[in-house]
Amino acid sequence: MIDKFLLAYRSIRERRARSILTVLGIAVGIAAIVALMSVGYGMEEAITGELTGMADMISVMPGKITGHTYVELGSFTDRDVKDLQRISGIKDITAMTYDAAEVEYRNKRAPVFVLGGNAKELGSFYVEPVGIKEGRWLRENDFKGCVIGDRVANDFFDDVIHVNDKLIINGEKFIVVGIFEKASTLYASDVDPHIFLTLHAAKEALQTNEIKYIMVQVYNIDEAEGTAEEIEERINDNHGLDDFANAMTMGSMIEQIGDVFNIIRGVLVGIAAIALVVASIGIMNTMLMSVMERTHEIGVMKAIGAKSSDVLSLFLLESSMVSLVGGVVGCVLGAVAAKVISFGAGTALGIEFGAVVKPEVLLGGMAVAMVVGVLSGFYPARKASRMSPVEAVRYE
Amino acid sequence: MIRTENLTKVYRMGEVEVQALREVNLEIQDGEFIAIIGPSGSGKSTLLNMIGCLDTPTSGAVFIDGIDTGKLSENGLAEIRREKIGFIFQQFNLVHTLNALENVALPMFFAGVKRETRLKRAEELLANVGLGNRIYHKPSEMSGGEQQRVAIARALSNDPEIVIGDEPTGNVDTKTGNTIMDILEGLNKEGRTVIVVTHDAEIAARAGRTKRMRDGRVLD
Ligand SMILES: Nc1ncnc2c1ncn2[C@@H]1O[C@H](COP(=O)(O)OP(=O)(O)OP(=O)(O)O)[C@@H](O)[C@H]1O
Ligand SMILES: [Mg+2]
Repeated sequence: MIDKFLLAYRSIRERRARSILTVLGIAVGIAAIVALMSVGYGMEEAITGELTGMADMISVMPGKITGHTYVELGSFTDRDVKDLQRISGIKDITAMTYDAAEVEYRNKRAPVFVLGGNAKELGSFYVEPVGIKEGRWLRENDFKGCVIGDRVANDFFDDVIHVNDKLIINGEKFIVVGIFEKASTLYASDVDPHIFLTLHAAKEALQTNEIKYIMVQVYNIDEAEGTAEEIEERINDNHGLDDFANAMTMGSMIEQIGDVFNIIRGVLVGIAAIALVVASIGIMNTMLMSVMERTHEIGVMKAIGAKSSDVLSLFLLESSMVSLVGGVVGCVLGAVAAKVISFGAGTALGIEFGAVVKPEVLLGGMAVAMVVGVLSGFYPARKASRMSPVEAVRYE
Repeated sequence: MIRTENLTKVYRMGEVEVQALREVNLEIQDGEFIAIIGPSGSGKSTLLNMIGCLDTPTSGAVFIDGIDTGKLSENGLAEIRREKIGFIFQQFNLVHTLNALENVALPMFFAGVKRETRLKRAEELLANVGLGNRIYHKPSEMSGGEQQRVAIARALSNDPEIVIGDEPTGNVDTKTGNTIMDILEGLNKEGRTVIVVTHDAEIAARAGRTKRMRDGRVLD
C-alpha cells in the first residue's frame, strides 16, 4: 500500500487539477512531435511510393539545376533524340514539347499548356497511373484529336468539356477524344491542367520544332545512373556545351525528395521541441510548487528517518509518472491527430495520402517525455531532498 | 545513554543572534523517564531537536550510546532517526494524504521492511494505542487525541530505544493528555528511554526526573 508508487500517486492525485494540466502540457508537446513526424512520413511515402513505380525512368531536360531552381537553356533537336536511340540499354524514348497556347471552347478563351509526345510512349507514362475517365487515349494518327486533364475539362472554361466537344487551339480545331481522371498528388501538376496532343500535332499547333523534354525508359534499373550520364554526354556534345542536358533518374529524384523531407521534418520537430520546452517548464513548475507545498511533509518524512535519496527518488518518481502518462496520452493524441490532419489535408488538396505512424516515432516520443520529466523533475527533487528535517517540520 | 557536551545552538537572523542553547551538559540514562520544563523560549524544543538528530549544534556534541552524532553522515543521522529514536510532535505531524495505517507503516517503509510485515505491525501498534477500529481513517477524519496516538504508534514502528515527545499533550485536552502519558509511562516500563517536554507540572510529576530550563541553560 505504501509503496513508492502509491506515495507518488497519492501526491499526484492530491493536486489533481495541476497534475492534469502538467500531463496535458507534456502530451501536447509529444502529440505535436508524433503528429508532425507521422504526417511528414505519410507525405513522403505517398510521393516516393509512386515514384518507385517509375524507377526505370530518366527525365532529360535542356537546362541546369542550380540549388533549387531550374534554368532552361534551350531545347533539344531531332538529332538529339536519334542519337539517344543508339545508346544501349534504353527501352523507350519519348520526346515531348510543350508551350502555352490560347484555347477556345464555346467562345470562352483561356491560356492552357499543351503537351505533345509520341502517343504510345506518352501514354505509357500517364494513362496507366492516372486513368482515363471518358473516351480513350491518343493514337499515333490522331492529328486532330486531343486528350485533356481534369481541370481543363471542369475548371478552365464556363462549361464542362465532354468527349467529342471541339476545342480551338491556337486557331486550329481539335476534337476531345479522351478526358483524364483527376490525378493523384504526384501527377496532378503534370496532367490536370494540360492538353495532350501527338508530337506531330503539337509541333503544328505550337508552331515549333523544339523538344523541351525527353523521357527515357531503361531495361535495367541498376544501369539507370550510367545511362543518364551517357545521355548528358551525347547531348552536350551535340550542342557543344558542358552543362546543357540534365538527365535525372527517378532514383536520384526519390533521394532528393527524401532530403527535402528530412529538412521539413527537422523544422517540424524543431517546432515541436519548443512546445516540449514549454511543457518541461510546466513540469518543473508543478514539481517546485509541489515541493514548496510539501515542505512540511518532506520534513516529517525526514524526521521519521527517510534518507535524502528516499525523498529524491520519491519526487523523481512522481515527475516520471506524470511524464509517462503525458507521453502515452501524447502518443495517442499525436497518432489520432496525424490521421485527422492527413485526411483533412488530403481532402482539401484533393490528394490521397495517409499518415504513417512509425513505432520508432512513438517510442521516441515516450523517451522524450521521460527524459523531459526526469530532467525537469530533478531540480525540484534535489531541492526537496536537501531540506533539513527541522527546517521543514517548523513550517506549519 | 544520551549525553550532551557543552551543547550550544546559536540562531543568527541578520544582525541578531539568539542563544537558544548555552553549553548544555546533560546525561540521560537508558530506561530513564525524564521531563523537561521551562518557560517558552527557554530552548526546550531546540534541545530535543539536537538529541533527536533533527538539527545540528553550533558547537558541542550529542553522544547517543557513545556515538558522536556530529560525526555521522546524513544517511547515518537518518538511520538513527529511523531506528533508535521515535519522535512525537506537539502538532502530530502526520502525512495527511495517508491513512492511519499507512502513516504508522511509513518509517518501516523507509527502513525497508517487507510490506506484509509492516502492515501487520502497524495494525498491532494502532491496536495497542486503542485505535484498532480507526486504521483506515485519514488524519483529517480523526480528533487531536486520536491523531496524537497515531503519531505515537508511528514513533514506535521501528521499535526505538528512545522516545522523545515535544509537548505531546500540548494540543489535546487534559483527559486525553493523561491517556497519552499512560502510554508513554507504559513505554518506559518496557525499558525505553522517554524524554518529554511539557508545560504541565502535573504531567512532569509523572516522570522519574524533571529538569528545568531557562535562557538556553539546564538548571540543576
Ligand atoms: N529557526 C530559528 N531561528 C531563529 N530563532 C529560533 C529558531 N528556533 C528557535 N529560535 C529561538 O530560540 C529560542 C529557543 O526556542 P525553542 O523553540 O527551543 O523554545 P521552547 O523552549 O521550545 O519554547 P516553547 O515552549 O514556546 O516551545 C527562542 O528564543 C526562539 O525564538
Ligand atoms: Mg518548543
